[in-house]
Amino acid sequence: MEGSFASLNVTSERYEVFTLLNHTRYGAGFRRIWQDPVLAISLLLVVLFIFVAIILPILAMVGASLSEEGRALFAHYLGERAYQDIITNTLVMGLTVATAGTAIGFLFAYVQVKMKAPFKRFMHLIALVPIISPPFAVATAIILLFGRNGMISKGIFGVRYDIYGLTGLTLALALSLFTIAYLNFKGMLQALDPSLEEAATNLGASKWHIFRTVTVPMLLPGFAASFLLLFVEAIADLGNPLVLGGNYEVLATRVYISIIGLHDNVAAAVFSMILLVPSLTVFIIQRYWVGRTSVVSVTGKPTGTPQQITHPVVRWVLISLVLGICALIVGIYVVIFVGSVTRVFGVNNAFTLEHFDFVINGYGSEAMVDTTTFAIVATPLAGVLGMLIAFLIVRKAFWGRNAVDFGTMLGIAVPGTILGIGYLIVFNNPITLTLPFVGDNVPAITLIPKLTGGRAILGGALAIIVVYVVRSVPAALRSGVALLSQIDPAIEEASISLGADNAVTFRKITLPLIRPAFLAGLIYAFARSMTTISAIVFLTTPQTRIMTQQILNETEQGRYGNAFAYCVILIGIVLVAIAILYATVGSTTGAERSLEGGA
Amino acid sequence: MRKIVSFLVFAILLLTLLPAYAQESSLTVLCTPQEDWCVAMTQAFQEATGIETSYVRLSSGEALARIQATADNPEFSVWWGGPADAYIAAAIDGLFEPYVSTYAEVLDPRYVGADNMWYGVYVGATGFCSNVQVLEELGVDVPTSWQDLLNPDLKGNVAMAHPATSGTAFTAFWTVITLEADKLEEAEAGTGYNEDGAPTEAAIDNAFAYFAELNNNILQYTRSGLASGPMAGRGEIAVSVIFSHDCVKLQVEGFEGVLVTSFPEEGTGYENGGVAIISGGPEPEAARMFLDFTLSPEGQATALQVNAFQIPTNPEAPVSDLAVDLSSLKLINYNFPAAGSMRTELVERFDTEIAPAPTE
Amino acid sequence: MAATQSNAADSLRLESISKAFPARGGEGEVRAVDTVNLNILPGEFLTLLGPSGCGKTTTLRLIAGFETPSSGRILLDGKDITNQPPNKRDMAMVFQSYALFPHMTVFDNIAYGLHLRRLSRSEIRTKVVETLELMGLKGLGDRRPNELSGGQQQRVALARSLVMEPRVLLFDEPLSNLDAKLRVQMRSEIHRLQRRLRITSIYVTHDQIEAMALSDRIVVMNKGKIEQMGTPGEIYHTPATRFVADFIGRANFVDATVIEESGSNLVVEVLGRRFTVPAKFSYSPGMSVVAMLRSESLTLRQDESLLQVVIDQAMFLGSEVEYVVNVGTKQIVVVEQDPRGISVFDEGQQVGLDFAQEAIHLLPA
Repeated sequence: MEGSFASLNVTSERYEVFTLLNHTRYGAGFRRIWQDPVLAISLLLVVLFIFVAIILPILAMVGASLSEEGRALFAHYLGERAYQDIITNTLVMGLTVATAGTAIGFLFAYVQVKMKAPFKRFMHLIALVPIISPPFAVATAIILLFGRNGMISKGIFGVRYDIYGLTGLTLALALSLFTIAYLNFKGMLQALDPSLEEAATNLGASKWHIFRTVTVPMLLPGFAASFLLLFVEAIADLGNPLVLGGNYEVLATRVYISIIGLHDNVAAAVFSMILLVPSLTVFIIQRYWVGRTSVVSVTGKPTGTPQQITHPVVRWVLISLVLGICALIVGIYVVIFVGSVTRVFGVNNAFTLEHFDFVINGYGSEAMVDTTTFAIVATPLAGVLGMLIAFLIVRKAFWGRNAVDFGTMLGIAVPGTILGIGYLIVFNNPITLTLPFVGDNVPAITLIPKLTGGRAILGGALAIIVVYVVRSVPAALRSGVALLSQIDPAIEEASISLGADNAVTFRKITLPLIRPAFLAGLIYAFARSMTTISAIVFLTTPQTRIMTQQILNETEQGRYGNAFAYCVILIGIVLVAIAILYATVGSTTGAERSLEGGA
Repeated sequence: MRKIVSFLVFAILLLTLLPAYAQESSLTVLCTPQEDWCVAMTQAFQEATGIETSYVRLSSGEALARIQATADNPEFSVWWGGPADAYIAAAIDGLFEPYVSTYAEVLDPRYVGADNMWYGVYVGATGFCSNVQVLEELGVDVPTSWQDLLNPDLKGNVAMAHPATSGTAFTAFWTVITLEADKLEEAEAGTGYNEDGAPTEAAIDNAFAYFAELNNNILQYTRSGLASGPMAGRGEIAVSVIFSHDCVKLQVEGFEGVLVTSFPEEGTGYENGGVAIISGGPEPEAARMFLDFTLSPEGQATALQVNAFQIPTNPEAPVSDLAVDLSSLKLINYNFPAAGSMRTELVERFDTEIAPAPTE
Repeated sequence: MAATQSNAADSLRLESISKAFPARGGEGEVRAVDTVNLNILPGEFLTLLGPSGCGKTTTLRLIAGFETPSSGRILLDGKDITNQPPNKRDMAMVFQSYALFPHMTVFDNIAYGLHLRRLSRSEIRTKVVETLELMGLKGLGDRRPNELSGGQQQRVALARSLVMEPRVLLFDEPLSNLDAKLRVQMRSEIHRLQRRLRITSIYVTHDQIEAMALSDRIVVMNKGKIEQMGTPGEIYHTPATRFVADFIGRANFVDATVIEESGSNLVVEVLGRRFTVPAKFSYSPGMSVVAMLRSESLTLRQDESLLQVVIDQAMFLGSEVEYVVNVGTKQIVVVEQDPRGISVFDEGQQVGLDFAQEAIHLLPA
């Protein structure tokens, strides 16, 4: 599973190499697809999904920002000092978070792969924890630990430390996002051919010399990829700046206040557009430049075992650093759990269940049911869609293959708020088709019903589910592509040669073989859906209660106890779901384990 | 594989069931007071009438934005709570439907909106909610005036909400405008207020100058009006500008001995919490019943269950001992209609001039 | 040379099949298969032989339906199947990588295609058990592919295709992943099976020995085109082109000159000696041609009357000795079989080179 998660972030175009080796068959592949109706319909649905659910909202947002009103706002925002500062703030935060997160991720991975260390399994699990972490949890816990009156800052060091602003944001975001870098580096370090280091040692290089001249240069694309991914995630984040920002204003919060406070879609679109430019630039750099220059073949089976770092000082300094960060993360979750059962954490530490009582017996239970239901619906859709797109992209060389991949990845590359605004603009009214030349008495055909806002179809649930799917598919796609590229296409051809059509082959052969990727995709989809906030914050309706939205409300009103109770329940739901997914989808046979071993 | 198929079937079944339970509730209230009061009020109404009632809580500015945004297809039928300024703004935009409540006669005329567009449900006063321990550490006395908040020693130790999203903050904002207008008027009649009784441009500019200065002491503009209270309670800041009843509520609910309430001696503003029927809402009948209920003694009594210490507008409703005695305060002359009509323009100016500005 | 006329007995027919791929650089295209005409007779074992990149695998994939031809038609029993999807063609393919389904047991692997044909459970069981026995896999039905040896995996792959009793069996270099010994063993097993079952088979390989051992007919391909088609003997002894001669077996090419025509024969001068050989194509006297001399049809003897050559290199290979000898400025390879009976020469030694007139095969220069 971890391997697959790592591959989510390695956008290297490995499958391209694979198809090149197996001939490039563009035109024919396309014709072949049209020969098989199931395949043709799948591709059509995929393209439709990408266009309607991802491209259209983004285009609508861009369109709104470029309206006359929007253009005037651009001039205003870009020309004014205060707004220039906000843009600078956003970029600076992106840089600091990317630097810190990449460093922590590398540290964790390096200790994990290259050293004998105590509690290695524990370190690994701690590094994965942020995946299931609800938004705001880390930020609020950090305030309680390091704030003006924080348990550690004030309680131990006696300092009224000012955590608000860039410092706090960097800490909270780096701790929430370093998992991406960690999994990336872990995969790369493990795949790094040890014979390279052996060769260097053989030539008389010291460990430090090897680290500088072999390890780091080999991992350079990994550093670049992690850095860029973290940058995009950081500047898109909404939850942490809302809680920890202080007067450090960033674009994401500006977008939020424009919609929530001023109901100004155009201003929001303009801010979004300013936010979209660096996000997309970085995404494209990451995809086309870093992806191409990757020198580490993750598929290559390493020979021998990685050399261990044994220098005692280096070893213990690094291990203590990692353990220190682990302790910090554990501390954060202890605060969340203890905070959920104390009256006012840090002020009145009496034990109480009132927060859980409020959350469960109030409208919280409704939010739990709604959120979990939507996530349950979205998860298999995202998983299957991800695998299907991966299958089409890797196996069916057709014209526009790259565009399909790119379009799908846009779902996660653009900040969630942007998607949300796009949905508000596009789907707030039904999309209808009036047939020409049939007169006025023929009602227009509704192509897409009203999806957002009040009286939307299914109470707005559909829009939220679609957004969940859009945000989760890219990860499933990447892990599917990574695994599929390692499976001999002849296995599927054998099935077809024995008389199975594409659909049967996908179901009976491909899907079981990429089950590890499928499982990773499902887990990620569920966790992501349960914890996402920025993409759905504008889409909730009176009929749809979303836990993260409730957590936002409680946090915003300063009732951390209730927020923590929600967080504890949310973490519980995600853990239970992961256990169920492992039990149902994850039972692997020896054969697949051997496949995974190669993965 | 079969598992996945059945999983999908299950998912599709759930999807088809969704609309059923989405339409179950027959009244959705847009609720602005604290979450727990929203729960208590809607549950009491549901018990009294048998109407399935749910709510969505939004701060008053957000609620107004939401009603405006969805005017052609409202999601909510009734809006309850939050300062009247926003109600007046909404009424001016034609977002409400007039309704003569059964309690219209019982209420003081001050609490009946023009053309029966809205009603007042409670009253509360703006105050300062301070953490005594933090103030002691900073060597600053409990603030008793708006000028006290500008004390450089309080840098980064004051918090209030964003007037665009929060009615609490807007009330404080309008209070300062009114005080500046009074000052000008005192110096020279006609310079503070124009002939309509609305504050002049000069008064507003002075108020913005005050907030520009205060901005240096502000740690953060929160979204919700009450949020800065717990921040003060936890010692993250020293002084929070909120309604006094929200501060008292915090004192009762865990921050006893930590927080103190004080009022600005120059004069303080007050809110008149509103309720109104949203024009074209999906459940007009239930909405009218709910409006009546919030004005009834039973409805207003729900405040006591949840430590909501606002003063009820229905003379027959019980009043808590902890409610503020308005007669002991120097209240400003709060021009609700003017505040309502100028609200949008003011908060937009605040949002572009004050909130994004860097602190010195 | 390629038969284009219709033949009712054809099992499979390729008519002017071409396949072009876009070139790597992006500009233009590469013709992987270029106007190939091919008839495969029922029950025939036909091998596509050629170096890598010659288009043999692409031809096989075109037949299987994994590729669509850019132009031309493919007919099976007279029916046009050019655009039929691969799963609808009554063919089964054995892959180089075996392509066993790793998540299924051996039994399920073999039963896979039968299930798709919706045979009854008992029918499937009977057929699978029979095939397991036929392939010497008895008792391995419950194993998973990764628990089998390479040879066993190859047998399962073969069994999985055989059990379908397809009209045409396709082999894509099935033995190239096996070690040398197993390869020989499997080669003979495939040979025996095919002769017994007489399933029309098309076999792709770059191994000439394999091709000659197994095939009724061999098609030698080069650069997307058919160089020659014929029985192993024809291909070996009378290669049509220098490419074929060079690709199959060990051949020496020496310049020769046509002296004169004598009836249907020619008198040519090869290595200073005159021979009368059958004329395969039109010659004019004085014309330069190339004579192909197979290494094994040359012999070295200490005989001063023969053309004298110097041994440059002598390698003892067990069953034979391979000599590289200098003839003037040219080098020629000579192989002497069963070196026990004859003397082994030393490097540097001068000996006589002898060959019979039948050893000469003329090719255009």
